[in-house]
Amino acid sequence: MNVKEMLKEHKLLAEFRYELGQIERGYTNRSLYVNLSEHRIESKPVTEMMKEKFIGGKGFGLWYLWNAVTSETKWNDPENEIIISSGPLGGITQYPGAGKSLVVTLSPLTGLVIDSNVGGYFGPLLKFSGWDALEIQGKADKDVIIFIDGNEGTVRIEETPLEATDSHILGEQLTEMYAESEEDKRNISVVTAGSAGDHTLIGLLNFTFYDVRRKAVRLKQAGRGGIGTVFRDKKIKALVVRFRGVKGDLNHPADISKINKAGIKLHKEINKFDAVQNRMRQIGTANIIEVMNEYDLLPVHNYKFGSHPDADKIASNVFVEKYITQGLPDGCWYGCSLSCAKAADKFEIKTGPYKGQLVTVDGPEYENAAGLGANCGIFDPEYILESNFYCDTYGIDTISFGTITAFVMECYESGIINKEITGGLALYFGNADAAMELLHQMARGEGFGKIAGQGIRRMKKLFIEQYGADPDFLQDIGMEQKGLEYSEYLPKESLAQQGGYGLTNKGPQHDEAWLIFMDMVNNQIPTFEDKAEALHYFPMFRTWFGLNGLCKLPWNDIIPESNATADEPAKIPEHVQNYVDIFNGVTGKNIDKEELILQSERVYNFQRVFNIRMGHGKREDDKIPYRSAGPVTVEEYESRQERYDRQLIELLNYNPEGKATEEKIKVLRKYREEQYEKLVDAVYKRRGWTNNGIPKLETLQKLGIDFPEVVEVVKPYL
Amino acid sequence: MKRLGKREELCIGCNQCEEACSKTFFKESLKEKSCIQIGNNAKGGYAIQVCNQCGVCIDICPIEALYRDKNGVVRVKKDICVGCFMCVGFCPEEAMRQHDDYIEPFKCIACGLCAKNCPSGAIFIEDVPVGEIEAFGETATAGEI
Amino acid sequence: MIQVNGKDFEWEEDLTVQKLLEKKRYTYPKIIVKVNDHLIPKEEYELTPIHDGDDVKVIHLLAGG
Repeated sequence: MNVKEMLKEHKLLAEFRYELGQIERGYTNRSLYVNLSEHRIESKPVTEMMKEKFIGGKGFGLWYLWNAVTSETKWNDPENEIIISSGPLGGITQYPGAGKSLVVTLSPLTGLVIDSNVGGYFGPLLKFSGWDALEIQGKADKDVIIFIDGNEGTVRIEETPLEATDSHILGEQLTEMYAESEEDKRNISVVTAGSAGDHTLIGLLNFTFYDVRRKAVRLKQAGRGGIGTVFRDKKIKALVVRFRGVKGDLNHPADISKINKAGIKLHKEINKFDAVQNRMRQIGTANIIEVMNEYDLLPVHNYKFGSHPDADKIASNVFVEKYITQGLPDGCWYGCSLSCAKAADKFEIKTGPYKGQLVTVDGPEYENAAGLGANCGIFDPEYILESNFYCDTYGIDTISFGTITAFVMECYESGIINKEITGGLALYFGNADAAMELLHQMARGEGFGKIAGQGIRRMKKLFIEQYGADPDFLQDIGMEQKGLEYSEYLPKESLAQQGGYGLTNKGPQHDEAWLIFMDMVNNQIPTFEDKAEALHYFPMFRTWFGLNGLCKLPWNDIIPESNATADEPAKIPEHVQNYVDIFNGVTGKNIDKEELILQSERVYNFQRVFNIRMGHGKREDDKIPYRSAGPVTVEEYESRQERYDRQLIELLNYNPEGKATEEKIKVLRKYREEQYEKLVDAVYKRRGWTNNGIPKLETLQKLGIDFPEVVEVVKPYL
Repeated sequence: MKRLGKREELCIGCNQCEEACSKTFFKESLKEKSCIQIGNNAKGGYAIQVCNQCGVCIDICPIEALYRDKNGVVRVKKDICVGCFMCVGFCPEEAMRQHDDYIEPFKCIACGLCAKNCPSGAIFIEDVPVGEIEAFGETATAGEI
Repeated sequence: MIQVNGKDFEWEEDLTVQKLLEKKRYTYPKIIVKVNDHLIPKEEYELTPIHDGDDVKVIHLLAGG
């Protein structure tokens, strides 16, 4: 069916006309509110208070969500919102990584706020269309799209009965439908979920951009926490924005010279050093697959081990040489010369509904190779690409899917579940066919896939209640915390990274801090205080990317020459200064690197309080599964016996000679768990929180977020 | 194809080329707005920095705003350029130019006006097979010692 | 005994920077090696001896943060 016929069947539910307006110093000063239950579309002012305290992006999302929900609100209540906002720096074209959108909602997995940082053109084009944020509330009766025409000044809610649900088709259909010509396609960005959003809690959102060289719609993912599930629960099929006329000065920055200077300097740095540093332009984040394997950090068999002899089969060069198309610009927004958004073109699909199709697979990223591949014991690059493709088009978070599959495989191998329970799927480690079928089942909402799609936390409960599984063992090996599945690094030998995962707001995602090498290998943060300082600074610093519509990668995946002599090389001081400069360049403010951290600290603490308001956000919620901190099973201990025995001697003065492995596991575990608790003490102290993880009143006052409704939340715990 | 050739050893550093260039394109006599730049080389002589039409930037541009015209000259489509300046950062000759007064980059289009103003014959319009430049990723100009 | 990144490590006869990197499986290509605060260039790894009691730093330029 062609798109014109589909368009004919669209039924207009509401239309809103607006003045185009003007962006001033990075802000349009208004947000677009859409209520799908009431077919109501409104313009809301962005206040000075919002800009001052919450900056933009994730900050705006948190503020709107805070005002939309109560402590009782569930993810699938109509008052839950999905908020998309880029941030004041979003949409500048001169500095790499400045086109991100931040998506905020209440997560079906955690019941808490989830935030996801995603590429593609939607956020910037939304802003250029006149909106700092898009706030969607309510639920539609039938599948709808929201279409924003940023040149005409119209917003429409339309019923869309005929379009596909899966992203790789829907993205193409809507781009084709709303672009007036091939040339116009670059001016369209579409947000879609996929069929798995209807049946699982791990649904994601794809944000598109049109790749003018491949002549293909590319997909970037807001992956974590089930935002796609909320999207489908609201019966949203897609969001479409169209804006023609992107230029380098549309943010009307206060001082464009600062932005140009920082941007060109970084382009030159990337040109000079990327090929000898991280090869992001060649292979993207997948460059570290083999490094993680060498340093025993690549999760293998549900995080039991950190390396595998077959890992070379999925090393980065395998993808470079056989699959990834080289020499094409792969930035997910204009001006990203780091260009990590790699793709395998004309990849032939071997299973499922799209069998035989030649598709463009976005990826693989490191997390996908590690999670879909190594962690499930599947060392097959074609499986990784195909499952990557299906996760994207079905709208499934690759990280949760990988970690979930690894968990069910371990449950299968240890006899907790069997073929009867899985409906015939032999889910042992390495069984790519079974894993692929599990994925298809999630999209169809059938069989064991439907169960697995509820996430590890709910599966643990089910396995305990229905199949008599040992709750302690499942707590130890189920790699989730706060309800969110771990991302794909093995933190066992890095206490700081155990905290980097465990002491996050949204759940164990490494986007707050990645301290493994600094801690475990380089030993640059040896004391609890050092680790706590790192677990204060880096999460705060990284939060700032999400307030401003920025990507983290151009910060430290390219290293400037000046870093060799920098006082604090891990911070990449020259790049921090770039961020200060471009922020001041756009907004006309005059912040320094300390104020930058304060901006983040405000929002970070607000999010912590939000978690407390939703009934969590306390010390007990920051506990971690022991698999992330040490060896749970005899098999694990004995696989690294020399290391663990040595630690018992050196750290505990305990003689492992002649002791049973179970005994040694117990002793080591006691030590490691105590270490984690001491780390938690130190981090809470550094962050200005009580010993129970509650931000102290003076912390909230210092940050200027001691609003009455915020204080009311923490008061009972102080 | 046409391009601006150079013989740096003949340059006397009079900067007339820069003036001719910026006046022609920006109606202003300002070195920073000239596509050709005269500087100093390590040997104490003058260095001439100008586009050799190698075309590396064409592949760098994310949106196909750079192209080679029918004379082989690399040009900027200002109407679709989004001003990301990746071409400026990735130019092997550092000859793609940028000025804060403008939101798009600018470059030598081998018009030859500067060569007409050059008193010493250090710059001149020359014809080179396009394949030669692209194939060798050549950065030195014919005639250079 | 020597110190490697601030932690004890068994010293042995004829130990060089190269041998130490192999023993520690420090295969990451972008590292900086300092012996007693003295920077060792890559081409000298094989020839540079490590003596008992030396303080060795092998900083991986994949620090993270």
